[in-house]
Amino acid sequence: MKQIFLLILPLIFLISCSKNNSEVIDYNDNNFSSGGVLINAMSAEPSNLISMIAGDSASSAIASKIFNSLIRYDENLNFTSDIAESWKISKDQKTITFKIKKGLEWSDGIPLTSADVYFTWKLITNPNTRTPYGSDYTLVSQARTPDEHTFIVTYDDNYAPALDTWASLEILPKHILENEDINSTYFSRKPTGSNYYKLGDWVSGQQVNLIKSENGVLGKPYINKLTSRIIPDTSSQFLELSAGNIDLMNINPIQFKRVFPAKPKLKNRTALYKEMGNGYTYLGFNLKRKPFNDKRVRQAINYAINKEEVIKGVLLGLGEPISSPYKPGTRWNNPSLKPYAYSPKKALNLLKEAGYKMSADNFLVKDGKALEFEIITNQNKQREMTAVLIQRRLQEIGIKVSIRVIEWASFVNRFIKPGDFDVVVLGWSLSLDPDQFNIWHSSQQGPGQFNFVGYDNKKVDQLLEKGRRELDLDKREKIYHEFSQQLLDDSPIVYLYAGYGLTAVNKRIKGIKSPAPPAGIYHNSQDWYIPKSLRRNELTN
Amino acid sequence: MNLFKGNLLAIIGFIIISIILFVAIFAAFLSPYDPNYIDINSILLPPSYDHLMGTDGLGRDVLSRMLYGARISLFVGFVAVGIATLIGIFLGSIAGFYGGWIDSIIMRLVDIMLSIPSFFLILAVIAFLTPSIWNIMIVIGLTSWMGVTRLVRAEFLSLRQRDFVLASIVMGSSNKKVITKHLLPNSLTPIIVSSVLGIASAVLIESGLSFLGLGVQAPTASWGNILTDGKEYIQFAWWLSLFPGLAILVTVLGYNLLGEGLRDVLDPKNK
Amino acid sequence: MLIGISLISFFIMHLAPGDITSSEAAFNPKASEESRQKLRELYNLDKPVITQYGLWLKRMVELDFGNSFASHQRPVLWETKDSKGNVIKGLIQESLPITLLINLIGIFLIFSVSIVLGTISAVKQNSIVDKSITFFIFVAFAIPGFWLALLLMYWTGVVNQWLPISGLHSLDYKSFSEIGQFFDLLKHLILPVSISMLSGLAGISLYVRNGMLDVLHQDFITTARSKGLNEKNVIFTHALKNAILPLITIVGLSIPGLIGGSVIAESIFAIPGMGKLFYDSVLMRDFPVIMGILTIGSVLTLIGTLIADIGYAWADPRIRKGLVK
Repeated sequence: MKQIFLLILPLIFLISCSKNNSEVIDYNDNNFSSGGVLINAMSAEPSNLISMIAGDSASSAIASKIFNSLIRYDENLNFTSDIAESWKISKDQKTITFKIKKGLEWSDGIPLTSADVYFTWKLITNPNTRTPYGSDYTLVSQARTPDEHTFIVTYDDNYAPALDTWASLEILPKHILENEDINSTYFSRKPTGSNYYKLGDWVSGQQVNLIKSENGVLGKPYINKLTSRIIPDTSSQFLELSAGNIDLMNINPIQFKRVFPAKPKLKNRTALYKEMGNGYTYLGFNLKRKPFNDKRVRQAINYAINKEEVIKGVLLGLGEPISSPYKPGTRWNNPSLKPYAYSPKKALNLLKEAGYKMSADNFLVKDGKALEFEIITNQNKQREMTAVLIQRRLQEIGIKVSIRVIEWASFVNRFIKPGDFDVVVLGWSLSLDPDQFNIWHSSQQGPGQFNFVGYDNKKVDQLLEKGRRELDLDKREKIYHEFSQQLLDDSPIVYLYAGYGLTAVNKRIKGIKSPAPPAGIYHNSQDWYIPKSLRRNELTN
Repeated sequence: MNLFKGNLLAIIGFIIISIILFVAIFAAFLSPYDPNYIDINSILLPPSYDHLMGTDGLGRDVLSRMLYGARISLFVGFVAVGIATLIGIFLGSIAGFYGGWIDSIIMRLVDIMLSIPSFFLILAVIAFLTPSIWNIMIVIGLTSWMGVTRLVRAEFLSLRQRDFVLASIVMGSSNKKVITKHLLPNSLTPIIVSSVLGIASAVLIESGLSFLGLGVQAPTASWGNILTDGKEYIQFAWWLSLFPGLAILVTVLGYNLLGEGLRDVLDPKNK
Repeated sequence: MLIGISLISFFIMHLAPGDITSSEAAFNPKASEESRQKLRELYNLDKPVITQYGLWLKRMVELDFGNSFASHQRPVLWETKDSKGNVIKGLIQESLPITLLINLIGIFLIFSVSIVLGTISAVKQNSIVDKSITFFIFVAFAIPGFWLALLLMYWTGVVNQWLPISGLHSLDYKSFSEIGQFFDLLKHLILPVSISMLSGLAGISLYVRNGMLDVLHQDFITTARSKGLNEKNVIFTHALKNAILPLITIVGLSIPGLIGGSVIAESIFAIPGMGKLFYDSVLMRDFPVIMGILTIGSVLTLIGTLIADIGYAWADPRIRKGLVK
């Protein structure tokens, strides 16, 4: 019997391998049905499925499919219900009352109540919990649960980003974690959640399988199983996508604009999506160093950089110039602000005002010293290319620039923390809450804090403090529009671009919204489906 | 050339290395463009008369980058091997000449270094020191001296028993003189052969480090990082990976053929 | 010896300016500096270097490498059980067998192929065949591995769907029979093993060739020939045995090279082995894992050398007799 197996199995493999080639698939089949498997690729393995402890993006991507928060962002980035059906802010703006939906269950059937929410808050504010995110929640002076469906938090001082913090805190089950050490619990590898999916199995270093939960608090998704394969090398990922072995991956502009159009066969079975990305890239000055303490020098460099060219060269046009640290199209973005238009002339005039003269060999010199500096950046292809383009434009007007690319951990510890740099090319995220206190307030300049460029402006400090306390959206909007304007004028950083998020998805996956809503294509992933005829035969279970 | 008479492979190796050295030295005269000149209107062009090896993701001329990259890649190889060889000669001669406890300490050190996976060591040190061309050369050098040490020690041990060395010691020559006048010149052959082979490995190590993002850093061109840039587009912009891949292959091959050829020619046993 | 290794590893560790708290959460504005200081204290990173080394050395003697910083306190070496009986596997425990499997198959293939090639080369010394073999093994050595790997992945995985591109198993391998799973694994290993094998061929083949040449010129071969034994018999029974013998010691020495070389192959083929684990740990500054791997890697080499010595002694009748006496 065994011998027969030995003979047959290789044959089966050969057959199943060659079949993929000859099969003609009709991607126009749109017949809705629930079921199927979606396979995607991630570059790194999640470290831990409790996101308050993990902190890496692979972990939070998986955890967000398993856990819910009190509230969440809808497709237009407004708050909407999640575990809480409604929430109310008191008149004095210091207390928020969340009403939790009735009849909710964890995936193991135990009821989900306000006790779980309270437990989670206790956990993240416990000093023994090894989380970097605790500080936002320690601002809550009092949390109460008058009944199973009510959770009330009170702040000593108005705290405007509060709702955002409750949208990002994933609620954990009290009945499982009550007597566990959160820092080392096995729960982090075998979690019980409440969202659309639950953990099926996790093969270390290879794949994580999520399966449909029958009692998710937001309902049931259409796709039965999500498999995330861990493939560290992006070239290998792309080969897998080309071979049709994975359904979805993030791609880069060159793949989007050049590779897909050149490969008709691949293009026929892949849909490409672009959406506003979640971050922006900037050139930041060390304001504590000469000559960057001079606003005119900073503005001059801003004028001398051709942002359109950077977007065209680095992103092949797949990005937008920005002029405030907020997502274009959202209310926090001040539409009246325009980026510094490329103008070497204005740049030179400003530099002359600042006392620079053109030397005989065409370099800008002041007090016998040439205007020269080093741009450092981490190992990120796009940032590297950006730095190279900037270097050329600055050299054209007589500024000597050198570039250094540094591996991330050393970059942070050797250069950013001690403030030992001239100019950096880096990125910040375009956060959904407009609070930028940590990045721009003058009190946040200590080693390891985020105002490492050393920005210090009394007016901005006041605006940031005011903005944190204002819960009225319209008033808040005004504050942050003013803040953005001041920031743009001072030019402590040069906004370079906000790139689009680019995703390639196999056409067998249906129901993806296009064009993508502000929240991105993943927003309605529970409504995606795979028509029966397009499923992989071998994975129907 | 007479040296390699009848040894076809060694001649091929010699020719390859001569060409590549020539190209590296005269890169500035040979390259049609500035290797760092960006032209965002000619991104990823296939090879053509204007750009014999095509252009890369920023519209830079691949041929020019390859020529300048040859310099960097070979420079890394030479300096790294130079460091390793100097350390190896120094420790090896001390161990081989004096013997005794000095010898056993040095040989223990060699054993320890040999038993730690050297690529791990290189990886860790370069990541911690931040990758730069100098760090890469130094670290490759510091982790590859063990072979030379063993070679030199073995040569010294056998040479020491020879009459002319014994005679020189008896006649009262200083230790330094015995080492530099008699022992070293007579053990040069294996040192040269192992250095030539060492350069080949250093070029390969640099390309491996580039793949992991720890090689020579952009915008400086090295064959390793041109190849790494190109690997993303292996199905599309084949010219980005083909040329640096071939260049590394041919160079490493050249050094190996040359090294083995030298061994055959210089090693009296094979005559 | 082990103390020497531990000192070197520890020294390297402290070249590093960063620590675990600097990697992931470093640029998240929501993570405050106090929170990170707290993490540092919990991990003893605030103690003096000597104290850290002392603590670590003590634990190393007990083969207790502690827990990983980066991956949620997973044990570095071996599994532990929590109070509820859940088993948390060790990082090295999970990755080492994979790397060992690939390397053992690799070593086996390298030696088999090398012995064949080396013997042919030696027997046909200076012929076209000899030259072509030498040329081929040098080319195999000189190709940048990751480039060849990608080309092969594209050729065998995308253009012709003959072989899987990356990973260790098919997604549905659990539904296969045991033999099916075995074949599935083999299929996934074909490319990675071939790639890691190529670079090792040159050295060993040349070694066999030169060994064979030496042996073929020795007296006892001439004697055997003159006794009228046929050439095949001379080569395979007499010469080969003597030429291969020293190879046994090389097995031990080639282990560190193979383990080290696995970093690139494992990254590109998405294989969760020790090389990939080491690389990730270096980037994350996950010191316990780095130390653990350096130590285990070195111990493996020592064991390999020891086994090789014993094997050599066992295979060489002169030494074997010496032992008995």
